[in-house]
Amino acid sequence: MSDTAELRLGRPPAQLVGGWELGLLVLMAILFAGGALINPAFFLSGDAFHAILRDTARYAVVAVGMTFVIINKDLDLSVGSTNGLVGVAFSILFAPQFNDWGPIGATIFCLVLGTFIGLINGVLVTILKVPSFIATLTMLLIGRGIILGLTGGRSIGYAVKGRDYPWFFQLGETNALGFNNQIPIALVIVIIGAIVLAKTRWGYETFATGGNEQAAIYAGIPTRWVRIRAYLLSSLCATVAGLMAITQDKGVTAQAGLSSELIVIAAVIIGGASILGGRGRVIGACLGAMLTVVIDKVLREGWPTTRIVQIDGQDVEVSAIAQLPVGAVPALLGALLLLAVLVEPYVLRRRLVGRFWAWLRKKEPPLIIEATGIAIEGVQTKGTMASDKALTARGLGKFLARRDALAIILAVVLWLVGVWLRPDYWWNLQNSFAILLNYTELALLAVGLSYVIACGDIDLSVGAVLALAGAATAFAMKVMGFDPMIAILMGLLAGTAAGLINALITIGFNLPSFIATLGMFYIARGLAAWIVAGKQLTGFPESFNLLGRKVGDILDHFGIDVGSGTLRTISEAVSVQTLWMIVIAIIAGIILAYTPFGQMIYATGGNRRAADYAGINTKRVRFISLMFSALCATMAGIIYTAFFRSFNPTAGQFRELDAIAAVIIGGGSIFGGYGTMIGALAGAAVITLIRALLQLNIILPGGGSFVMPQHWVNVFTGLILIVAVLIDIWLRQANILAGLRVRFARFIRAKSEPEHA
Amino acid sequence: MPEELKIDSATTPLIEMRHISKAFGAVRALHDVDLRLYPGEIMGLVGDNSAGKSTLMKILTGAYSRDSGDVLVGGAPTHFKSPHESRAAGIEMIYQDFALCGNMDVGQNIFLGRWPRKGFFVDRKTMYSEADVVLKRLKVDVNSVYQRVESLSGGRQQSVAIARAISFDPRVVVLDEPTANLSVMATERLLETMLELKKHGVAQIIISHRLQDIFAVGDRVMVLKRGENVGERHITHTTEQEVLEIIVSGKREKAA
Repeated sequence: MSDTAELRLGRPPAQLVGGWELGLLVLMAILFAGGALINPAFFLSGDAFHAILRDTARYAVVAVGMTFVIINKDLDLSVGSTNGLVGVAFSILFAPQFNDWGPIGATIFCLVLGTFIGLINGVLVTILKVPSFIATLTMLLIGRGIILGLTGGRSIGYAVKGRDYPWFFQLGETNALGFNNQIPIALVIVIIGAIVLAKTRWGYETFATGGNEQAAIYAGIPTRWVRIRAYLLSSLCATVAGLMAITQDKGVTAQAGLSSELIVIAAVIIGGASILGGRGRVIGACLGAMLTVVIDKVLREGWPTTRIVQIDGQDVEVSAIAQLPVGAVPALLGALLLLAVLVEPYVLRRRLVGRFWAWLRKKEPPLIIEATGIAIEGVQTKGTMASDKALTARGLGKFLARRDALAIILAVVLWLVGVWLRPDYWWNLQNSFAILLNYTELALLAVGLSYVIACGDIDLSVGAVLALAGAATAFAMKVMGFDPMIAILMGLLAGTAAGLINALITIGFNLPSFIATLGMFYIARGLAAWIVAGKQLTGFPESFNLLGRKVGDILDHFGIDVGSGTLRTISEAVSVQTLWMIVIAIIAGIILAYTPFGQMIYATGGNRRAADYAGINTKRVRFISLMFSALCATMAGIIYTAFFRSFNPTAGQFRELDAIAAVIIGGGSIFGGYGTMIGALAGAAVITLIRALLQLNIILPGGGSFVMPQHWVNVFTGLILIVAVLIDIWLRQANILAGLRVRFARFIRAKSEPEHA
Repeated sequence: MPEELKIDSATTPLIEMRHISKAFGAVRALHDVDLRLYPGEIMGLVGDNSAGKSTLMKILTGAYSRDSGDVLVGGAPTHFKSPHESRAAGIEMIYQDFALCGNMDVGQNIFLGRWPRKGFFVDRKTMYSEADVVLKRLKVDVNSVYQRVESLSGGRQQSVAIARAISFDPRVVVLDEPTANLSVMATERLLETMLELKKHGVAQIIISHRLQDIFAVGDRVMVLKRGENVGERHITHTTEQEVLEIIVSGKREKAA
């Protein structure tokens, strides 16, 4: 009976592979041919093919887990640092100079560590409802901080001890059959992953969860467990890949797995998965990994060049390998990611290939499936309890009911803690000046970001755009020899171009802002490193440096004397950038709080659909906000360059985390619709003060002193961001404290009632 | 027809809700509401916005817990804590927003969350052939069980949602505003489907603002106002005008 049914129904659609995978294979062949044309010595050797397969193996393993996560409509940015952290953990346990464990014990520890990281990610994202990109980005940076903290930036090697355990380290070596053992390991994992995703209930549950989580819940699918499971898979896959790297390298560097999340996410997306969830295949992701590795290799391997050099009047031919400078590879991979996210919604879903083919044959083109959402998007009505309280509260209660009260109180308390710990340092004018400068940079970013976050979007690229703008300005002045005004203009141009791309991808192509700005995060930082690679960018004209000077210096520069009173003291403590930031913040604050445009921002973030229906051009509002955020980051970058009188490509690193944390602590909601300028400024003050306190040189009773290393400070900032988001979601919005109070009151009443009766 | 119904009311109702009350904080959503549903009957549940229709149905399916009152299914008292428990008792609710996964195909959606298994794998042969049987039984025209749901029109999506509900072999189907998002043609087809279901002996409760739909297929209509029963009529004994008047200006009328 079922056989006849099968006949009547026709052949069911293929699950494991589709036409897209075939296209990827063709594209890869073309790329390989291109590589062979540029560098035949490398690409036409069997070694190249083998090396590509070997490197693909590790990325493909991580991509298997990532496919599950992305189909669930989540994202796991932490795989790169999990990958590295596992390597470091294994090395520290295994290396004879440290703990000298056996490989089995160290491996087991690593698997436990991977499970633990996956569990944290999963619980944060599902049960605690932190948006996945925030939770895992924080895990990424915490992981990186721990790696640097544990290794101190040095590599650990144990090639000698490794020889005692050939059965383990052989796993990363070429075997008797002539290929690397990592390839069959990856193949097994990919095949298992592909079958589980396409043919079992686990896979079906994943597709249902990503397609329409509400429907999946109605259908009795335990979606929380499905999502946690995917994070566990992803984290364990990253662990296995980390161990594979260990067996190959017999050591680890502090850079292990650095930005490999970019390659893996790009791979999964190129493989046909949708960043909007519900679509993807493991085989596609694996081919995507290979394609990304090929591109990576083509970019990194470089091409042979010959130069004629004159030595002692004789022409000597020198062969060299021309390579792309540092930063170019992540920049191009970031651009690749941005292109890739367009593939599924705009190529696959619209059947571009099929329509083109039909057009070529002059046939009727297949229908476009417009995936208009079936589910009604979760109705967002937030913070009702807190708002109610604000309406009835009086006096101090009214202040406490404000969403930004926490930040203001914290800023004051932290400052007092600083005074209490190190009065000598805290009261010193020079040091206050340093803190104020740190504050200025962060506050400027937070001002722009508070617009974006109030709109319900996010900008992960502010730190990178800061670096890009600084690099562009420095480059224009020193290398291209422009005068400061034009250089500043070029910096502004570079930064706003980055903002324009963010806005175009987010609004023009209707994709989530986190993916657009994540791509920009890599592109802008990569470009900054690329621009300044190998150049000494210092010694700018003094008229430019004045942008980053104290008011006093400017007065001196123009020969104005204000005597030596209070005015002089103030002019020594306040710098141009602080004044500039205050001007921007006041204007932005007034616009946000008192103009129709500000109300439009809140409406857009509160309920975009309602705002659309009300005739607000939400696209324009979000576009302007993203551009404004990039503009603020750009100004911060130019000021950075002026202040340090030089440019360093690490400018603004980790600043995106600080700025997001500042806005959230200051009363913004990660889901949009809230945030004030005063809150953002106070939040920035909190972050700055926490950083200053963590970096304080604390004088111990014994006369010694203690300073926390920078890596651990970054770990703490990551934790602060997570705590801030959790406080926002659970205390401000879900108001669990009030819930507990009600329950407690009921409990007391229930206890006291029998006595009354 | 009316005589039949009167005889029915002497038999055990399929569903009996007695003295249901529910408050959300200070808001009284339902107060002492009664509801009876007999086998093979289509009952319209009408009332203004915030009359408590959806709340009553969510209490029936266990999506909400009641503050007081009893729910009897087939004469036996029940205490459903979630829609899954009421589903086991043969009660299915079809949500206004269809609750389907657009990225999956018709067959996968009909068996959402309970895909048949063969060893480790999903048994696609059984799944698709059974899905096809259910669709045929409902006489809905979906081209293929392999079609992705997002490529279907609103009416067809509704059909898939109903097919999914039917595949559980329910005794009672609750439809919450099923025609709200449908075109005229699709509404016609949905009403036909409801009559088809009735032929199979499935009792249905339809929540709707559109009285003409209820008068087209319903046997009985019950009116709620501000969380109270204000009227109950047999369709054959009433007019749309009368029901409308009850909705607007009905007073609590409690069967003695």
